[in-house]
Amino acid sequence: MSMCISDETVMAYVDGELGETARAALDAAIATDPELARRVARHRALRGRLHQALDPVMQEPVPERLLAAARSVPMPRGTVVPPRRVPLAGWSWPQWGAMAASLVVGILLAPLLWRQPAAPVGVRNGQLLASGALAHALSEQLANTQPANAPVRMGVSFVSRSGNYCRTFILRDRSALAGVACRELEGWILRAVATASSAETGEYRLAASSLPPGIERTVNDLIDGDPLDADTEVSARASGWQR
Amino acid sequence: MRTQSLNEELVTLLPRLRRFARTLARNVHDADDLVQLTIERALARADQLQRDAPVVNWMFGILRHAWIDELRTRTRNRRVFVSESAVEEVGDPTQSDQAGLLSVQDALAQVPEEQRTAVALVLIEGLSYKEAAHVMDVPIGTLTSRLARGRETLQVLLGES
Repeated sequence: MSMCISDETVMAYVDGELGETARAALDAAIATDPELARRVARHRALRGRLHQALDPVMQEPVPERLLAAARSVPMPRGTVVPPRRVPLAGWSWPQWGAMAASLVVGILLAPLLWRQPAAPVGVRNGQLLASGALAHALSEQLANTQPANAPVRMGVSFVSRSGNYCRTFILRDRSALAGVACRELEGWILRAVATASSAETGEYRLAASSLPPGIERTVNDLIDGDPLDADTEVSARASGWQR
Repeated sequence: MRTQSLNEELVTLLPRLRRFARTLARNVHDADDLVQLTIERALARADQLQRDAPVVNWMFGILRHAWIDELRTRTRNRRVFVSESAVEEVGDPTQSDQAGLLSVQDALAQVPEEQRTAVALVLIEGLSYKEAAHVMDVPIGTLTSRLARGRETLQVLLGES
């Protein structure tokens, strides 16, 4: 009898997915067929072990930051909430525009703007524009061939949904400024910046990622398709990052 | 959906969301980051919530997408920042004394992503096939075959075959 009943049916039985008639038929079969009973028990045991392993999570105290997030007022779409463990992360362009941009620029970028004439970031028409060594790296430096000690480390290059080339970068100085810049007519416009490491803990947010989560999120929002590979990055540079 | 009631509902769902996230991302902090991102996205998209569907299933769907985004980002960063991503994630030390949990977590980690999600939704979260298929945005046949393969792998790894 047992062999006639497919694994699929046994699973549907233990998962409570069978109709009443089929269920009753299996109930009866199990009572008389030890082999079938064993198959059912084996599936139930797995479910039990999974619950035993993961249910304790439900008893853990919920971290305060999650409670706060769940109680917070909904944000309109496109607004990026700065992650708790990384200061000043995840500013999206609409926010820069909507807020007193000069104030934010003052806090985060003042040290960089002061360091003339090679300052990596300038302001033009209310937008943050890469300049100096950063602008040079964005235009010239390829992720694949960059020297290990380059003052700017280039990350991924990709095409944005609005059809521009964009690139992520990290400044290898005390500012540890990371960001994503997109090539527009005026030059490389910064779409998001954040400090690459937390001042408090000095650790990256996710062990396996190098970019601050706010920047990753902006990349995920901006990117159209996959990042450029080494070859397409070479041809993008050859075209002056214009499409 | 009224905001206030959604907020209240999210608070009560937090333990389940954390459990689901922990099945996908082993690291406790990564899992909680995932839950936080899910809540932020859900609140930003509250207008898309359908009244007739359980909120928790909608949240599972958002969490699953957030996790897929995270995996994509990791793959991308691993490819580009090779030297920096050499840091491997370590298991949570607070869990290592619970021998049973660790072995199930180890086994789960070896199950392919889509199968693990199917297992988590049906076997742990108790969703029906129909609900789980909806969350994963696949036909029921695809869901059941992923579930069957995931189960099979787990049973072999856990020595219950």
